[in-house]
Amino acid sequence: MLASRMQPMALHARRLYVNLMFQVMGNALQAISEVDGKVQDEAKALPDGFLFEMMVMPNGPSLVIEHKGQGRFHYHGSSAPRAVDLSIQFKHIAHAFLVLSFQEKTSVAFANDRMIVDGDIGYAVRMTRVLNRLEAFILPRLVAQRAVKEYPSNLHLPEKIMSASRIYLKVASQFVETARA
Amino acid sequence: MTNKYYEFFCPVKVVAGKAALEHIPYELTSLGAQRPMIITDKGVRAAGLLEPVVTACEESELDIVSIYDDVPPDSSTAVVRDIAGIYRAEKCDSIIAVGGGSAIDTAKAVNILVSEGGDDIAAYAGAGVIKHPLKPFFVVPTTAGTGSEVTAVAVIADTEKSVKLPFTSSFLLPNAAIIDPRMTLTLPPHITAATAMDALTHATEAFTCMAKNPLSDAYATAAVKKISDNLLRVMDNPKDADGRLELAQASTMAGIAFSNSMVGLVHSLGHATGAICHLPHGLCMSLYMPYVLEYNLETIRQPLGELLLYLDGPEAYAATPANRRAEAAIAAIRRMRDALYKKCKLPRTLKETGQVDESQLDAIAALALDDGSIMFNPREATLEDVKAVLQKAWA
Repeated sequence: MLASRMQPMALHARRLYVNLMFQVMGNALQAISEVDGKVQDEAKALPDGFLFEMMVMPNGPSLVIEHKGQGRFHYHGSSAPRAVDLSIQFKHIAHAFLVLSFQEKTSVAFANDRMIVDGDIGYAVRMTRVLNRLEAFILPRLVAQRAVKEYPSNLHLPEKIMSASRIYLKVASQFVETARA
Repeated sequence: MTNKYYEFFCPVKVVAGKAALEHIPYELTSLGAQRPMIITDKGVRAAGLLEPVVTACEESELDIVSIYDDVPPDSSTAVVRDIAGIYRAEKCDSIIAVGGGSAIDTAKAVNILVSEGGDDIAAYAGAGVIKHPLKPFFVVPTTAGTGSEVTAVAVIADTEKSVKLPFTSSFLLPNAAIIDPRMTLTLPPHITAATAMDALTHATEAFTCMAKNPLSDAYATAAVKKISDNLLRVMDNPKDADGRLELAQASTMAGIAFSNSMVGLVHSLGHATGAICHLPHGLCMSLYMPYVLEYNLETIRQPLGELLLYLDGPEAYAATPANRRAEAAIAAIRRMRDALYKKCKLPRTLKETGQVDESQLDAIAALALDDGSIMFNPREATLEDVKAVLQKAWA
């Protein structure tokens, strides 16, 4: 009886967690594109105005970012101002939770057919590299190793702490701005 | 609980062996088809490979209503639209693709248009756009390498926009793949070698990359064994029909394996090299395979070591210490490449191709890094890593 009452709460909590993680990632993607040259180089290959979406099928949580030019991303929240150019779609909220709770690496999730890519595969590969770099920066090494295929050997602690602090600061300010708005 | 998960799908009926072509009429009429169109290329027709297909159908009172034999090596949206127009004008009701990768991909795209309607194939580009089963579709491969007869993808060039359009849907899979040794008996030695090495790469990457699974593993290992046992035998005796059939089956099995477990960095490099230097795909696979396996070695030591059994036989496997089997597997592949170089000058390095300039390596590396198959490579290859692999493959 108790289990059957608890289950909807657990499912609701899982959905809330995925939603929150998408918000953190969206803001963090915008932030890392302002502080990291390698991410800017990756983003510069995307067309200006390029809209990227990560979402849970069919109408679940989502994040939308836009390449504004010069390697800078802008986080649009959960809805796109127009049709997106590239969409990475989790087939189910459970699969998104596996990835966003670092139980399954993004690359493994792709290999396991947990998500589909709608759009240019080359851009999807590029955005996956950006996501991997973001995770390597903002997560503690032990957690990041569970999220990315290979933790970058050339990412040393001082650089990581400096960049992560700036990213977290920007994310926090963006959250405050959103709350005020 | 384990996080392991996989998907495996192959609904293609495989009709293989002696007199397999003669099964086409029965199989087609079983699907209610009576007016097939053949899609092929000039090379296939010139090699006399259409006659046995047409004869097999006519003997069973199944008339081939139309034959389109002008598929170019890199097919385009315009070609697809033209063939679909002929199909409709002739009131055909099914398609038989006879040929290699280009003819098969073109036929898949034509099947989309004639089944779904319209003249603009670009409207169906992408994954999961097609929602319904298509017209009856058979594939008769004339090379033993691409595995296109069992893959759910097609790539067609949009020459006006200078882009390659990918089409992905399980509905693209043919109803049947007809594997008849007569269709590969006349393949020239260098194409036999390159296409077989393409199939070997499909199987090897399927067995060592990230989406490997128990079912694709079974197909991959069987394919590796068939190629190892038969490729050099067929190179010495091209008219060996049994050996040809083994290679053709290996190609189909490797196709089933990699279409369910994907491929890795060898293919990323091969696609990039093909696009920039216009080298044949099979040649690129043969060329890059050992260098990429060496790069991936510490991540794939265990599965690569297992492949030694199928590459070099039980005696060599048993005689090799477990911790040296992965290196021995790479050595076996290198020996096979050396033998092919002696027999038909199949290049082993980029320099040996004579068609690549060292100054192009950076461009190849950059393009390879954005190739979809790199996602499934067991190591996270950086631009520097890819450049290093290319330098080793140079000479």
